[in-house]
Amino acid sequence: MIDPVLSLRDAKLALDANAGRVEILHGIDLDIRAGETVGLTGPSGSGKSSLLMIMGGLERATGGTVMALGHDLTALGEDALARFRLKHMGVVFQSFHLIPTMTALENVATPLELAGAADAFDRAEAELTAVGLSHRLDHYPSQLSGGEQQRVALARAAAPRPAILLADEPTGNLDGPTGEAIMDMLFGLRDRHGATLVLVTHAPELAARCDRQIRLRDGRLDTLSEAAE
Amino acid sequence: MSAAWRIARRELRGGLRGFYIFLICLALGVAAIAAVGSVRAGIEAGLAREGAAILGGDAQAEFTYRFATEEERSWLESVAEEVSETVDFRSMAVAGNERGLTQVRGVDDLYPLYGEVVLDPPMDIASALERRALPGGVMQPVLAARLGLRVGDTFTLGTQQFELRALLEREPDSAGAGFGLGPRTLVTLEGLQESGLITAGTLYDTQYRLRLPAGTDLEALENAAETRFAESGLRWQDSRNGAPGIARFVDRLGAFLVLVGLSGLAVGGLGVSAAVRSYLEGKLDTIATLKTLGATGRVIFTVYFIQVGILSLIGVGLGLLLGALLPLALGPVIEAQLPVPAVFTLYPGPLVEAAIYGLLTAAIFVIWPLARAQDIRAAGLFRDIAGGGMSLPRWPFLLVIAALSAVLIALAVLFSGAWALSLGAAGGIIAALAILAIMAGLVRISARRLARSRVVRGRPALRLALGAVGGPGGETASVILSLGLGLTVLATVGQIEMNTRNAISQDLPEVAPAYFFLDIQNDQLPDFLEIAHAQDGVGRIDTAPMLRGIVTRINGQTARDVAGDHWILRGDRGVTYAASQPESAELTQGTWWPDDYTGPPLVSFAAEEGAELGLSLGDKLTVNVLGRDIEVEIANFRVVEFGDMGINFVMILNEAALAGAPHTHIATLYAEEAAEGPLLRTLSRAFPNVTAIGVRDAITRVSEALGGLAAATSYGAAATLVTGFVVLIGAAAAGTRRRVFEAAVLKTVGATRGRILASFALRSAILGAMAGLVAILGGALAGWAVMTFVMEADYSFQVISALTIVSGGAVASLLAGLAFAWAPLAARPARVLRSRD
Ligand SMILES: Nc1ncnc2c1ncn2[C@@H]1O[C@H](COP(=O)(O)OP(=O)(O)O)[C@@H](O)[C@H]1O
Ligand SMILES: [Mg+2]
Repeated sequence: MIDPVLSLRDAKLALDANAGRVEILHGIDLDIRAGETVGLTGPSGSGKSSLLMIMGGLERATGGTVMALGHDLTALGEDALARFRLKHMGVVFQSFHLIPTMTALENVATPLELAGAADAFDRAEAELTAVGLSHRLDHYPSQLSGGEQQRVALARAAAPRPAILLADEPTGNLDGPTGEAIMDMLFGLRDRHGATLVLVTHAPELAARCDRQIRLRDGRLDTLSEAAE
Repeated sequence: MSAAWRIARRELRGGLRGFYIFLICLALGVAAIAAVGSVRAGIEAGLAREGAAILGGDAQAEFTYRFATEEERSWLESVAEEVSETVDFRSMAVAGNERGLTQVRGVDDLYPLYGEVVLDPPMDIASALERRALPGGVMQPVLAARLGLRVGDTFTLGTQQFELRALLEREPDSAGAGFGLGPRTLVTLEGLQESGLITAGTLYDTQYRLRLPAGTDLEALENAAETRFAESGLRWQDSRNGAPGIARFVDRLGAFLVLVGLSGLAVGGLGVSAAVRSYLEGKLDTIATLKTLGATGRVIFTVYFIQVGILSLIGVGLGLLLGALLPLALGPVIEAQLPVPAVFTLYPGPLVEAAIYGLLTAAIFVIWPLARAQDIRAAGLFRDIAGGGMSLPRWPFLLVIAALSAVLIALAVLFSGAWALSLGAAGGIIAALAILAIMAGLVRISARRLARSRVVRGRPALRLALGAVGGPGGETASVILSLGLGLTVLATVGQIEMNTRNAISQDLPEVAPAYFFLDIQNDQLPDFLEIAHAQDGVGRIDTAPMLRGIVTRINGQTARDVAGDHWILRGDRGVTYAASQPESAELTQGTWWPDDYTGPPLVSFAAEEGAELGLSLGDKLTVNVLGRDIEVEIANFRVVEFGDMGINFVMILNEAALAGAPHTHIATLYAEEAAEGPLLRTLSRAFPNVTAIGVRDAITRVSEALGGLAAATSYGAAATLVTGFVVLIGAAAAGTRRRVFEAAVLKTVGATRGRILASFALRSAILGAMAGLVAILGGALAGWAVMTFVMEADYSFQVISALTIVSGGAVASLLAGLAFAWAPLAARPARVLRSRD
């Protein structure tokens, strides 16, 4: 059996809220293999985003271990995590999160530049062309529609050819047809580059497009659904 | 309206959080102006209260070169209860081998009519000056120290010995005496009789101080004195204005400092504007919701105008409190530094003035962002929040802003009384803001260009910084405007200060004389020249006969009525005579008289001053010399360079015109520095009545006086500096939300904290440097204008001052940026991004 790309053992997350400490994830055990596409579903507030965040090292698990490509993310510092993401991970959010003071092209080129690529801008342009935005290179995010912004975000996540793609409800803020187009692009990118994809969604038909589905309920894996697979 | 009011009140329940910058900016500016105004009012009140003591009497009649005539004296005695006579002149005090320039005052038994002379050891002035074996004298400690004298030792004035009975700690009438070149020595008039110093032709003034019956009408008395004695050179002063020189100086300095304060308030206004904008950015949801619920633009404007108005009142109130209390608290300290009395209490006038300035400034600067908030469309909310930064409000608002600005400027003119300075300052601020706005636009465009150029590719930190500077919704405009204006004010003050400090020392001619010698008697002149030339290291010696005269009439009419309050007419001026045209005299108009001319008296007048007085060839001047009126006709105008420190006279008469008038000679002596000491000793031993003024000492005295003025200006500028820094911190703080988000996204795509920090630092440094660049240009321009038109002095660009201020600004910007980088760098990306999902 191939080593899992992502491997969580008893991963816990507790956050301090105003009303006291809140247990959000109660010990998650999960392995995701290379090249797999995983759909993560569950009711709102069940902890899907939180789980994705600790997989990406954007949030630190407060218990257990989170191994990614052989690195223990819970043991890495902020900067080491940033470098790890630079090499191995792309993240797409529901609200796009483009940097407003950068054009589309600059947004996409940023991770490539950070990685020291000499041809960052050429590659960024190619990536934007691939998502159909070759005519929008010099537009600022505020001048783009939601769907266009999400395509830029996709291009930015995919440009460094990460081994792992994490997407948190990437179509949540978009209308139906636009969302579908984005999904097609996301799966297209994954197919072309062979990345591992973890996709948070509450649309069952989107989850169904994945190799495997995982359900979360109240911060725990829904064992029934795992068994059903 | 009442709905708006209720909504506003509900919104204000959130408290003052987020409004500290707003309050500080407004309060600081108002406080600075209120404090300056209060101190000025305090000094004016002090001068008024102690007017009689400062002047030395309820009124004073002064003469130059002579004592009062019998007629004058009896009139003075007829109107006054008591008349005290004093004489005042420069001389050399000698003790053994040491000698020093001193301003001597000879007094009678009645001195002082008002106030008290403070001596060390304590004793009363009468017994300190009484004649025992020798007449007594007291002198200021600095002079006694220079001469190596202790109480009980003897010193000489002219040919008379005196015993030093005590050190002079305080004279009640020193502030009214004006600017003396030497420390004071007090002796009795009687003691001076044998000194040989007060003779016809030597330069001395006499004062007659009057104690008047209570309720005397000072104005009527002044008119009476002037009609009776105006032509005889009597100068009148009374306690309504005991120290006119100081009052004028305080007035002008106060006006100047208030203008500096207004510039500071303008800087604060930018901070206020930025604070309101950032508050409104946080209120976008509320505004959109209110609009959805049917609130019109006008209601929205009113809701926030009420809130900001209440905050403005609080800010102005805090400023007034601070500005009123500060002079009260620091009163004793300030008073100890002042050469004049001051009364520190609450003065409503300056507080009202400061409050009006504060409220107007607040209104001008908050209407802009408020007007734009009302134009926000609910639909556009989620995009482009900061909205390009520069879009204009609708024209009625612009009109209101312009009108309020005009009112503010008009009030500044009215209150300060210095219309040219006020308009200049207002124009300067407006121009600086316009240039800064243009600069901000240029910086954005070029940063955007540069961000896309190949040069910065592969340097993500730099490109990020440039992108942030050039991109939409950034802080470029607000930082460049506020930091730029603050630095411009500072740079201007710095330029003015350095130029003023340098005005004296830099304008010195290559070869300045070492000494002026005054009061050389006619029969002493040949010996003086012989002995002086025999000394080692002595170069050129120039001499000229010297009298003093007052221009009383121009073409038969009272001079001041014709030509106004010009310095030439203000007192007596040096007058000389010459047979033939001096070599150095360059005529601009007219011709010189023949060598043997004996016709009606002619005068050669200084060209520039003549033009200022509106004189032309052939005009007739009445000059009162030693109580005698001489009518002279202007024969020519002549270039006079007062800056070269040589012998210069505004008026040169033909020789015959002054024939027989007793006079002395003035000499300038050029010498090597090493020769100066022995030279002074030899000459003053040989000619005890001759007064030597060391040019080096005189320059030091003047520089010190100017240094004090520059220091006062620096305090004014310091208030601007603090305000500027607060505005900067406000801008940095307002940008934090954006930076937190940016840092989170950058971390997500793989940027380390070091790189993010580098990009933030670069961004602050670029903005600081650009603001600084404009400040250098603006400061140089404004400094030049002030030096040229207000101070009427030369201007030279002060590189070090400019660079210090500007690099200081850039560093401050950098530090403020870095101080607020901690939160963005420390935040976990997940928390930040999630809260925006
Ligand atoms: N910073 C936080 N502090 C405390 N509780 C939080 C924080 N962020 C999220 N939560 C809580 O954690 C739970 C899981 O949130 P999330 O992972 O966003 O769920 P999902 O993405 O499945 O909707 C929710 O109940 C949410 O209220
Ligand atoms: Mg979620």
